[in-house]
Amino acid sequence: MFFKRVVALLGLVLAACARSSTGDSVLVVLDSSLDKEAYSVFWDGLVDKGYSLTFRSHKDARPAVVEDEVAQFNHVVVFAPDSKNLPQDLTPQSLVALLDKGTNLLLALSSKKQTTINTLASEFSLVLPPPGTPLISHFPARDTPATVVPVPPPHAHPVLTAGLPPVWFSGVPFAYTPNPLLLPLLNAPAEAFAADTTSDAGADAVVEAADRAGEGLWAGSSLALAAGFQATTGARATFVGGVEMFSNEFAQKELPQGKLSGNKQFAQDVASWSFQESNALRIDKVKHHRVNETEPRETYTINDNVVFTMHVSKFNSNKDTWEPYSGIQDMQLEFTMLDPHIRTALSPVPGQPGEYSVTFRVPDRHGVFKFIVDHKRKGWTHLQSTTVVPVVPPQHDEYPRFLSAAWPYYIGAMSTSVGFVLFSALWLAGDDREGKKKGIKTE
Amino acid sequence: MAPKSTAAAKQPTTSTPSALHETSPAAAGNAVQSLLKAYNETTSPRLKLIDAFLVFLMIAGVLQFVYCVLVTNFPFNAFLAGFGSCVGQFVLTASLRSQVNPANRNEFKDVSPERAFADFALGSVVLHFFVYNFLG
Repeated sequence: MFFKRVVALLGLVLAACARSSTGDSVLVVLDSSLDKEAYSVFWDGLVDKGYSLTFRSHKDARPAVVEDEVAQFNHVVVFAPDSKNLPQDLTPQSLVALLDKGTNLLLALSSKKQTTINTLASEFSLVLPPPGTPLISHFPARDTPATVVPVPPPHAHPVLTAGLPPVWFSGVPFAYTPNPLLLPLLNAPAEAFAADTTSDAGADAVVEAADRAGEGLWAGSSLALAAGFQATTGARATFVGGVEMFSNEFAQKELPQGKLSGNKQFAQDVASWSFQESNALRIDKVKHHRVNETEPRETYTINDNVVFTMHVSKFNSNKDTWEPYSGIQDMQLEFTMLDPHIRTALSPVPGQPGEYSVTFRVPDRHGVFKFIVDHKRKGWTHLQSTTVVPVVPPQHDEYPRFLSAAWPYYIGAMSTSVGFVLFSALWLAGDDREGKKKGIKTE
Repeated sequence: MAPKSTAAAKQPTTSTPSALHETSPAAAGNAVQSLLKAYNETTSPRLKLIDAFLVFLMIAGVLQFVYCVLVTNFPFNAFLAGFGSCVGQFVLTASLRSQVNPANRNEFKDVSPERAFADFALGSVVLHFFVYNFLG
């Protein structure tokens, strides 16, 4: 009894501490050239939310990220942009393996050298410019170097706080490929470009080189500065073009207009998405049954009317609980045998938080069907559910009987019987008389 | 043999004889009339009862077949049961007629009319059992 109480209490305490839907332990791998205190605003923000941070130099091998094939941390932050070699447990292969185990990653790219993290980015469908070509913008007029650029964040974004002021950025831009798993977090301003020199003397050479290489200029608002990637396991990896975005200096730096920059909030938004704190969904329960019943059937008969119900929750990081979530308007249910025979909207039920339901008629076709929900939206956890259910033709005793169209046949059969009875009666009635007559005759 | 001829002979009685006189040529009319007369005079009442039942069964069967062809054969089991009951009852009744006909006494020496009726009744009961089992 006492033991149970302790366990329950421990569980409560742990739950109260956790601020992410997957856990609260974070390993931060810092380049030894970076000062930990220079990023204290970001660390303090994470600690305030309830994360427990473990720091480690990029040269150290301990504490290990994975021990006995078990990931020791829920989230890994690698702020080691300019170190060419990372230890064995942080090679690109190890980091991909970490994603497979469900560990979330926050990675900073280097603008100076070709590092292993930069190589890894291309595996996530991000294309980096040649090493040593940081983002440059001469607009707006300001007193900072051309490589330190204020970037206005996107207006309506599923992850970022609305109305965020521009953020300072210094680092390397990169290009997207049309990978549906990518989530653009921050794009470069339209007048920004990537070049290896800030002087305008070599501008013609830059254009010429771009023409010769055939890949165009690295310029414009389609360049990415920060991008998220959600793996099929649900784990998230975020690539940021420059680690300075998270620094105290940028967080406290005033914008040319005189306002405070949005870096502090931006860094927390990016971290909360990366650590599966925001936009984390899950399917709680999937139910299916015939109309006017409550229990699921082993099999369904063709043309049955079937109700499919699903409960979806969203993680609330403020209360640290999963809460019913009815905000998805475009969810679809497919009833599939090889092809979707039915594809219908799975709409939220008014008055039932988190419940999505649809009633439909099973097609006039028997076979092994599947209820499939496959909801994939950029920036949100993928919702996938598959339930196999056989659809059979009616049993021999489930067909309709005594149809009105068959009444002539029923009357025919009954009249034959009545006729038989009448005939027998008349025959037997006549038998006595005739028997007597016959008897008389024969006698 | 016998049931066929008698059934054919019986049929004109269902239509009006007077109409037959007017439309048919005189010779054919005479032949039919004499056939009717001979049938009325030489057939015993018991055989007439059988013949009436046979005609009734035939009409019921034809009506069901026409309904099946013109309207619907669905549900087919009901059609088979209804039509089959008419055909089966017709066959049983026709065999009863051939066994109790005094003209066939030589061929059915060891079958008494009572025995023939008992066979007929038993066969009919079995037939109706199957028919109602198949009807629904």
